[in-house]
Amino acid sequence: MDRARASLTGTSTSGERPILIVSSIRKAFGPTRAVRDASFDVRRGEIHALMGENGSGKSTLVKILSGVHVPDSGTITVGGAERWSFTSPNDALGAGVATVFQEVLAAPNLTVLDNLWLGADGLFRTVQGRRERQRLAKSVLAELLENPPELDALVGDLDLSDRQACAIARAMLRNPLLLVLDEATSALDFDTRTRLFAMLRARVADGVGIILITHRMDEVREIADRVTVLRAGETVDTLDGDAWTIEELVRLMTGDAHLVDTAATPEATRRTPGAPVLEVRDLRVAADSSPVDFTLHAGEIVGLAGLEGQGQDAFLRALAGRGANGGSVVRVAGDVRTPLSSPSVSHRAGVAYVPRERRAESIFDWMSIVDNFATPTLTADRRGGLLSGRAASERFAEYRALLRIKLGKPSDGITTLSGGNQQKVIIARWLAASPHVLLLNDPTRGIDIGAKRDLYALLAELAAKGLAVVMLSTEVDEHLELMDRVLVFSDYRVSAEFTHRDVSREALVASFFGDEQVTA
Amino acid sequence: MMTSVPARILRKHTFIFALGLSVVLLLVNVLIQPTFGWASQLASFAPLALVAMASAPSIISGRGGIDISIGPVMTLCAIVFVGYLAPAGLGGIEALPLVMLLGGAIGTLNGLIIIWLRLAPIVVTLGMYFIVIGINLKLAPSPLRLDDTSWATSLAGMVGPLPGPLVSISIPLVIWGLLGLTAFRRNLYAVGGNDATAFTAGVNVSAVRVLAFAIGGVFAGAAGVVLVGLVRTADASSSTAYTLVAIAAVALGGISLAGGAGGIIGGLFGALAIFLVQSVLADTDLPQTWLPAVYGALLIASVTVGAIVSRDHTRRKQ
Repeated sequence: MDRARASLTGTSTSGERPILIVSSIRKAFGPTRAVRDASFDVRRGEIHALMGENGSGKSTLVKILSGVHVPDSGTITVGGAERWSFTSPNDALGAGVATVFQEVLAAPNLTVLDNLWLGADGLFRTVQGRRERQRLAKSVLAELLENPPELDALVGDLDLSDRQACAIARAMLRNPLLLVLDEATSALDFDTRTRLFAMLRARVADGVGIILITHRMDEVREIADRVTVLRAGETVDTLDGDAWTIEELVRLMTGDAHLVDTAATPEATRRTPGAPVLEVRDLRVAADSSPVDFTLHAGEIVGLAGLEGQGQDAFLRALAGRGANGGSVVRVAGDVRTPLSSPSVSHRAGVAYVPRERRAESIFDWMSIVDNFATPTLTADRRGGLLSGRAASERFAEYRALLRIKLGKPSDGITTLSGGNQQKVIIARWLAASPHVLLLNDPTRGIDIGAKRDLYALLAELAAKGLAVVMLSTEVDEHLELMDRVLVFSDYRVSAEFTHRDVSREALVASFFGDEQVTA
Repeated sequence: MMTSVPARILRKHTFIFALGLSVVLLLVNVLIQPTFGWASQLASFAPLALVAMASAPSIISGRGGIDISIGPVMTLCAIVFVGYLAPAGLGGIEALPLVMLLGGAIGTLNGLIIIWLRLAPIVVTLGMYFIVIGINLKLAPSPLRLDDTSWATSLAGMVGPLPGPLVSISIPLVIWGLLGLTAFRRNLYAVGGNDATAFTAGVNVSAVRVLAFAIGGVFAGAAGVVLVGLVRTADASSSTAYTLVAIAAVALGGISLAGGAGGIIGGLFGALAIFLVQSVLADTDLPQTWLPAVYGALLIASVTVGAIVSRDHTRRKQ
């Protein structure tokens, strides 16, 4: 790799005050400490990469730098002016920090020109004449895109890559001191990404500082001068230019804290998979993604891993009969083959799905614990055609013991329970439907370690009895310890597959970041 | 995916359906009523036109920005004009900006409550609707009569060489046009189209929303004077007459209730179509008791057709 530009960009100029100093930033949302202690700096004319796993606090940090969130403590110094925080995006932009966010943000009803200059004006005051706006917009788009859209085209009519390019152009037009790109390359086509990098190098040569957040090792390798690694809300280290290896980065990102008690799932309980229960053929997770084939066997626990939003969530929902872009998902029970075309078909075919958003998709928060448990399986509680509350309670008592659900009275409101116990009630709800296939969407998110261990033990036990489980998880340790197989998703396809025997922390995380050398 | 040229024009100028419908209805009107009185019809149309245009800005600002209180605010401004400003010697043309300021103040209050308390606009403005109706009944327990020599009556007749109603209707159009010369209207459409984008790009989203309600109030103030110029009385019982029709006009005029699309010109033509439907129905032999039901059915049908005609075929999931 050619690193000659380092001298060109002046990153080696020592003694110069950094363009951005982030010092001991903290931010919590309720009990979740999203950023615990972030400190790093960005020099003039530097491209500084921020890396970290899902949930390491990158996005929260970006929102603090852009004025969307106000930190609980810590300081931000931009261009020498120290401040506690930015009070609004407008404030951050005024201080010279422009951000391109991870979600492609555009006003679809406005023209390209108006999108590019969005926010540059005051409430009434226009900063530049129309002719000047057009000239500047044209020049930045021409720099970024081979075939730039017409300035009077509606942004809603553009494809995703062009819309992303508009968001980047909007930030560029503000002439920032510091440009923050949060996964801004993910939606760009290859050619535009190449042009963007050329553009970034030109800006850097003018002394602009750039924070690049990406999960692609090759991009960091190609363009970043330094890399700061975030882990669990803390900045753990900043590495210089070439002085890092992928193994080192992965180790920094993952740490070595083990979450799962290895004793909880001893090797002895490893199962041999049984007959196929679910067959997936040519499933397209997104309209234009490559097809996925997958067979699930009885008694098997399969993990779905990968960085956030790589298609694993859509894949799991497709298994539950909730929308696929072509291909087939078939429930196999001996000779009976049932294509899963809707959630109700799946339910009847013995496929249970536990959604990710407990509050939004699972819980009836005004109902009692036992009613939350019994609602989908009320037919079991009929006595002489009428529902019997006692029958429901009796059914629930069994699962309460099995899952070690800690509660006061079953008739208490579900919201009186901790998150972990709520999740157990929801899992009990679907186990009560006697499923043959259990699909779990990140079931341990936000629940405490004790509840997690209970759940792992339960899943191992159920799998031993022949239940097939597919579980999406954002925790690497769960994949290492619990799963018989792990499918890694990247860019809406299965990019790697591990068995329990050959999975390792380093190989798994490296595969998230699409590094072929390590996965090979 | 490219769309055909007519589809694109319809999508960009969403009022065209309402305009076309108005032209057809106008022809029907002229055919079935040989004595179609242009001047008087135009005068009766003006208040509805202004109320519909007053409802537009807050709806364009998005997040369900429907302002139910526009109708009562219009009546309040009429009452204040006839009952308070005129007796105090402020009954001249200076009364117009004064009542427009009053309307704007109530609109601002609506906007501030919505922003500060983060309540749904329909709830806040419904509350304001009842509050203003109450104030109207208190201020004018019986209808107040406008002096026949007042300048305001010319708004229903002739203003110099121009038909008065055209002058009234041009008040909001001119203000809207002037706003188009500033950054405000761009900011308004950005907020209505995607407020998260506007916010992160540095637009003061709250100020834009509050101003949208304020502008609606200003237009409602002008509507009050126009109404009193036509009917010559300020009557608290007229508070509720225009509320729902104005929202129907806005929907018919291609102003998306989701925000970010359409303009006050859509409110104008939507109001025109509705006015002409009423006019046609009034002239048919339909039994009086069936009129509201037929009117409602026509409204649903035309809003549906309008939505299909100007449907956005290219919009993708974000």
